[in-house]
Amino acid sequence: MKRLLDWRGHAFFGLPIRLYLGVIFLMACYHKIVDPGAFAVDIATYQILPLSLINLMAIVLPWIELAAGLMLVLGFRGRTGALLVAGMMAMFSVAVSIAVARGLDMSCGCFASQGANEDPISWRTIVRDVIWLSLAVYVVVFDRRPIGLDRLFARPKPAEAAPLATENQK
Amino acid sequence: MREVKKNTKGRYLARTLSYPALLLETVLVSAACAVLALTVNAVRAEGISLIQKTEYEILVPCPETTGEVETLSPDVVRGASRAARVIDARPKADFETWHVPQARSVPYDYLEPVSGATLRDIASSGAKRVIVYGDGADPDCGEHLARELAGKGIKNVGFIKGGAPALMGSSREGGRP
Repeated sequence: MKRLLDWRGHAFFGLPIRLYLGVIFLMACYHKIVDPGAFAVDIATYQILPLSLINLMAIVLPWIELAAGLMLVLGFRGRTGALLVAGMMAMFSVAVSIAVARGLDMSCGCFASQGANEDPISWRTIVRDVIWLSLAVYVVVFDRRPIGLDRLFARPKPAEAAPLATENQK
Repeated sequence: MREVKKNTKGRYLARTLSYPALLLETVLVSAACAVLALTVNAVRAEGISLIQKTEYEILVPCPETTGEVETLSPDVVRGASRAARVIDARPKADFETWHVPQARSVPYDYLEPVSGATLRDIASSGAKRVIVYGDGADPDCGEHLARELAGKGIKNVGFIKGGAPALMGSSREGGRP
């Protein structure tokens, strides 16, 4: 298992996955940040959250999506961004599954406030969400040294650098 | 514990966070996002209230009523055999006021699709013909229910043109329950 985790190829598999998920989340958060009122209606349509929590969710969630998207694209705290995405995808998958099980004829509200006729939820939406969840989990578990800002700016603390410098001189 | 490694070119690689540290960082990022989001929401013109006071008006599309149906005259009900299933699409209160004796009440809702139980009941009844009547208004709930049933696979569905008023006018055989 340790050899699998330490394999350097994960960084090269992880990069396109991170970029893909990051761009998706940056696209998804845009309309939600611009029009939180419309996103609140989308959340209400699921009929899961109590009325008192709908607006709070509509205000905060898009900004977490924005942060996660930026972290994944830039490779800055990439695994943290992926864990955020995994958490959100797990939540979205459960919400869409409940809505599909209830037979709600609605849009998922993922990328824009569309009518159910344009982008209705279905088992395909659940499959898509589970695939994105799996990709995010891959990055969390395997992409331990992501290509990006984390790698670019990685510097050891002076106390840790000293033994390494000595090792270099040998 | 921090884990700093050096690759073959002597450059330092990013540290790998343990899972508890990763979780903590996720919580901190979420909290920071929440503070930022609430601040921006408070100062922007498009901001919404933190707690919604009134229920949101949820718009759902009307069920598709696209099935092919037959337009029937009121006399058809009088001559209908026992193999025909007669359905009253009007609200329950109207049904209780007057209905065709052998009719079954299936109140039509323009927003809610017909339940699976009702569809199964009709499909398993063995009826060779399904005759639906509604309020005879424009739009006629009977015609819409008939189209929805036909669209969902029920065969030989027709609706009475003019609905219950036409039936009451052509026949006095209707009874009170």
